[in-house]
This record gives sequence, structure tokens and C-alpha cells, in this order.
Amino acid sequence: MDSISLPNADAVVARAKLGDPVALEALYTAYSTPAYNLARRICRTTEDAEDVLQETFFEVCRSIRNYRGDGSIWGWIRSVTSSKALMRLRRNKYRDTDDLTDELAPSRAASHALRMDLETALARLSETSRAVVWLHDVEGYTHEEIATQMGRTVSFSKSQLARAHQRLRGWLGEEALA
Amino acid sequence: MSTGHLSMEQLIAVRDGDRSEPSYATAHQHITGCSHCLAELDRLHQVRARLRALPTMAPARSQFSVVRGRVISDRKQTRLRALAVVGLTAAAAMLIATIGHDLIQPTRLDAEQQIATAMTSSQQLEVALRQIHPDERVIDGRTAQLVIQLEDRIAALDAQLNAAASLDREARLQREAQLWQQRVGLMNALVDVHVTRASNVGL
Repeated sequence: MDSISLPNADAVVARAKLGDPVALEALYTAYSTPAYNLARRICRTTEDAEDVLQETFFEVCRSIRNYRGDGSIWGWIRSVTSSKALMRLRRNKYRDTDDLTDELAPSRAASHALRMDLETALARLSETSRAVVWLHDVEGYTHEEIATQMGRTVSFSKSQLARAHQRLRGWLGEEALA
Repeated sequence: MSTGHLSMEQLIAVRDGDRSEPSYATAHQHITGCSHCLAELDRLHQVRARLRALPTMAPARSQFSVVRGRVISDRKQTRLRALAVVGLTAAAAMLIATIGHDLIQPTRLDAEQQIATAMTSSQQLEVALRQIHPDERVIDGRTAQLVIQLEDRIAALDAQLNAAASLDREARLQREAQLWQQRVGLMNALVDVHVTRASNVGL
């Protein structure tokens, strides 16, 4: 998902910087789905993900003038999205069910009959662990970048990733090799 | 490593080629001779590949109209705030221009008022003096000398008032206010001299 292309991206961005609503809508059309996907993978609910999407593109419309073109436009929008999604996580932190999954994991892991598919297992991770897994393994962010975005340390990011994979390993069982 | 196998963190470091991990070299070497850890590493690779292959979730509907509405509203608010700031700045500027003008040039307004007041007083004293008919009265030498001195000083002031006309406005107002006040003082003294003499002689 690193290279989502938009035809004439430079021209569209240039017009968007001038406040052209057609160009802004073109950006929304091109990137709202990957942005929503990222938000949805990090957030617990579709409502939260939709809010993050809206916040993201509101921010994009307001701040596109600040985009200097150092990286791809999707890279910039993606960083806005992940930042908004992580902010949403912090706001909803009281809902984080990390302790609950800790309790349920061994029994799940012990039974092949209760083996989950990857989608379910991913959803079962705590919000923080899921965010780290997605940002690192799918979006390709480094532990340093994740630590910065989360306001935590690099070792926190590494340990969260290892912990998440340990749980996925238990929940998925041999399915991962299938 | 308590079981003799790599920890999940070490396996991930090997998978990612993360050489910043202190035990990376040892872990990498261990993998080559451990089928269990090699299988776990393969499993990690597969999990990552499967994560990346998960279907993309799309929003149920476009929210761009909502976003655009918020942007328009935000721009309006920004404009209103800017207008409010401009309005307040303009109001403040006008206030400063009005009050500040007085604050900066209070002496000019004071001077104009002082001149007007002094001229009125002076005119009233002139009238009062004429009513006494000083030229028609007999005065002693000492009083006459005092009257002459006062009249000479008034004449000198009048000359200075004429000369002040050549000054620029600010300086002229200042000077005229000063001279007119002195003139009123001298006129008062002159009237007093005549009135006193008149009362002393019982007229």
C-alpha cells in the first residue's frame, strides 16, 4: 500500500493547494479507501474509522498547503490517517481490552477446535497491539516511526509486535501454515 | 531462549533483517541449524503476507460532502474571525486616533481653549477699564508710574503676540496662550490699580 498512484498527482495537488474543490475531491476519491482501510484496521469500530476518515480529509483540505512534496501524497495522507487513528485510540483507551485478551488467549490457543481465521484473530488483539502489527507489518512503518507516532519508545513498539505475534501464533495454530 | 529456541522478538528481528537487535547475528546463525525456529520464521513470513493480503475495507459511503461542508464552515469562521480581528483593529486604531490625538497633543487643545478664555477675559477687562475712564482721572505719581509700567508691559506683550504669528502652528498656540494669560494678568492688575485709586479717592 506504499504506492497508490493518482494520475497527474502533482497537478491535482497543486490545484488542491489553491483550494480547488474538484482537486480536493479527486484526492478524496483516490485515497479515501486506503485511508479508511488503515483507520478501520486500527480502530475497533466502523464508526470510529469513519470519524477518523472524516477528520483525516478535513485535515488534508485544511493543511494541504503545508504538504511540501517531500514524499508521495499518499505517504502524507497515510501519516495523517494513522495519526488521527492513534489519537482516537488514545481517546478510547479506557475501552482497550488488552487484559481480557490476555485471559482468553491460552484457552483459545489450547484448542484447535477454536482456531480462528486471521481476520478474527487480528480483531481480537488489543487496539494498541493491532495498531503496531498493522503499521509495522502491513504499512511498513519502522519501530522508530511507530514509537514517534504513539509517543512511546522503540522497545515498546518491538515488544508490542512480538506480543501480538505470540498471540496470533497461539490463536491461529497451524492455520498460519495452511 | 530458555527453551533453546529464539524468542518471538528475535524471530521478528531476523524476519525484518533488523541488525539493530543486539542478538541478531547469533539469532541468524541459530536459525540455520534449528528446524523449529526456521519453521516459526516461515510462519511469521506467512502471517505478514496474509495480513497484507487481507481484503481492503472501504467506507460505506462517501463522506466528501460532509468534509466539504466542514471545510466551508471552517473557512467562514476563519473569515469571520479575520474580519472580527480587522474590525477590532480598526476600532482600536480609531480609538487611538481619537484619544491618542488628544493624548499626544493635549497642549494644543488646551492652548486653544486657554487663548479663547484669555481673549474673552481680556476683552471684558478692556471694557471694564474703559468704564472707569482712566484718562479723565487724576492720579498720583506713584500710581501713574505703576500704570505706565503695566501699560508698557501690555504693549510689549501685544508686540510679542504679533511676533508669535510667524511661528509654526504648535509653537504659536503655545506662545499665544502664554502671552494672552500674561496679558489678562496685566489687565487685571491695571484695572485693579485704577479701581483701587478710585476707591481711595472716594470716587
